[in-house]
Amino acid sequence: MSLSRISLQEVVKRQYTYKLRAYIQVFMSLVFIQVLGILFSFNGVGMMGTSSNTFDISVHFYSADIVVIFTLLWAFISAILITTQAYRNDDFAFITNRLSSNLSNMLFLLTISLVGGLTALLSSHIMRILMFVLGQSEYLYTPTEVSEWIIGLIATVLYVLLFAAIGYFVGTLVQLHKIFAVLLPVIFFGILILGAGTMNEAIFRNVFEFIFEESSLALFMVKIGVLAALLFSGSALLSNRMEVR
Amino acid sequence: MILNMDGTKPIYLQISEWLEREILNGNFESDQKIYSQYQLAEMFTINPATAAKGLTLLVEENILYKKRGLGMFVSNHAKELILNKRKNQILKKLVLDIVLEAERLNVSREELIQMIQDVNVEEAGE
Amino acid sequence: MNIIECRSLTKVYGATKVLNNLSFEIQENKITGLIGRNGAGKTTLLKIIAGYFRETSGEIKIFSERPFNNLLVSANVIYINDQMNFPAALSLKEILDVSSTFYENWNHELSDRLFDYFSFQPTQQYINLSKGMKSTFNMIVGLSARCALTMFDEPTTGMDAAVRKDFYRALLKDYIDYPRTILLSSHHLNEIEDLLEDVLLIKDGKELLHIEVEDLKEWGIGVQGPTTAVKEWIKNREVIHSKNIGLDQMYTVVKNVDSELDKQKSQASGLLITAVSSSDVCVYLTSKTKGGIDDVFIKD
Repeated sequence: MSLSRISLQEVVKRQYTYKLRAYIQVFMSLVFIQVLGILFSFNGVGMMGTSSNTFDISVHFYSADIVVIFTLLWAFISAILITTQAYRNDDFAFITNRLSSNLSNMLFLLTISLVGGLTALLSSHIMRILMFVLGQSEYLYTPTEVSEWIIGLIATVLYVLLFAAIGYFVGTLVQLHKIFAVLLPVIFFGILILGAGTMNEAIFRNVFEFIFEESSLALFMVKIGVLAALLFSGSALLSNRMEVR
Repeated sequence: MILNMDGTKPIYLQISEWLEREILNGNFESDQKIYSQYQLAEMFTINPATAAKGLTLLVEENILYKKRGLGMFVSNHAKELILNKRKNQILKKLVLDIVLEAERLNVSREELIQMIQDVNVEEAGE
Repeated sequence: MNIIECRSLTKVYGATKVLNNLSFEIQENKITGLIGRNGAGKTTLLKIIAGYFRETSGEIKIFSERPFNNLLVSANVIYINDQMNFPAALSLKEILDVSSTFYENWNHELSDRLFDYFSFQPTQQYINLSKGMKSTFNMIVGLSARCALTMFDEPTTGMDAAVRKDFYRALLKDYIDYPRTILLSSHHLNEIEDLLEDVLLIKDGKELLHIEVEDLKEWGIGVQGPTTAVKEWIKNREVIHSKNIGLDQMYTVVKNVDSELDKQKSQASGLLITAVSSSDVCVYLTSKTKGGIDDVFIKD
């Protein structure tokens, strides 16, 4: 009898390819959520204007921030979704172990972060075009410098990835024990409510600043990378003894 | 032919009996190659190991012989052996059953023999 | 060579021992029937073999390796049950395509032919299939994967009689073409026994019998006759089933240790000795009481 021998790398590769096909609804929900985000963004985020007898100036600020925020939520929820039993069992319909299942999931989340981040940024361009065509704007200012744009892209993708990693970790905890489904929201909102107005605030602000207000792109990349890696490997460790099907 | 699948008679015995019938019917001549375990397994939807057991039984009784790598073949005296075997085993057992049943029903030996002589195979119409 | 080696395998859920010190071995290229009542631990055992569940204690070796989190085991074992889960986004044909990219020995010709024979449509969705059709589709995956260890857990759930027959025949024919180790669990021993070489009978997570199916057919004998005579006859024997018939008749099943001559003598003394089918032997061995359901209705 000859047994087929297959390396971890090969299994992960096949599973990743398979997941791109099988989890197509994740991408479809992305389209939906971003279109929704664009529609919300038409309200604009700000406006200022001045007028006199002879002329009237109004400046509207539009931004794709809402689209980005929606995309972050989408990444978070999609990541939770693929930790659920139905998806995990799908993996085990074919060749896998827990490690390869987790690794291919991470690759998949990385992919959707790239796609999500990129489309979120592009959607701001779509929005500007739509504004120009539909609106009464005469002049349009868009930051056009390529380097600026690329920094924006990297940052967006990393944020999406971070949210996906958090979602994956949360999902894994819930899979481990249902109690986390109640516990985690309680802790989250508890901290939010208690945190306001107490001395804890400073700590949260520090954490927030540490992650989100990094001015050096390289340092920011490292920070997010390390955080995501910690969350993913934590999930992998936690789920490595989990029973399936 | 469909095997008797009521689950009480071992299938390998049914297989060997079926092969014996095939030989008696003249479907297989001396030194002719008989079905392989896989052909039998397929024919009757049974496990090949069970079919092999049926064949082995006939090899042990010298009704078949094995040629290494070629398969099972019908022995020269296969028909005789089968007929003898049936005479010795099956008929004896049937006669014993009849005698026991006759005793239970208070049928005397003479009556029983008379009954056997009276049986007309043609009329009974198999 | 042993494909499965199992020593004192125990699986505990809460306070219940689903598997209790189970030990057995399964040799290469045999078709073995895993027989037991509901809740005997069949599915748990199969899922430990497939690497889905973790054993609590004891040892389990598949191809000489521990199955849990093992890629070699995963690549060479396929486990089919009636709760198979295939991604909802894929059509039936796509599921087969994906399966074929995973399993090295996947037989495209076989899967295509079976697919057509059972009149599946390439664009059909798995979730829209009826129970019997799901089972049929699972069977196509299970057979076409041609894994060194193929396990079917209650594979015929929901199939009609004709498809069940087709399945057994397909299984046998493909086994002849491509011999491999097959484990088949079922309640219906009488349906699958012709396909089997061995039977592994388990009860309450323990091994009761592991013998050739042909030996199982001769394992027990039924004795029927006047109650006093039967009671005399079964002295010092372990009775696995007994039942009163009429006023003074009794039927019991005991282990068959008698020679043909013994049986004929017993027959002569007015007892009726009969063979007991293997599925009846299994039912009697695995039942909770000697009288079965009748014991529930005894009124004293």
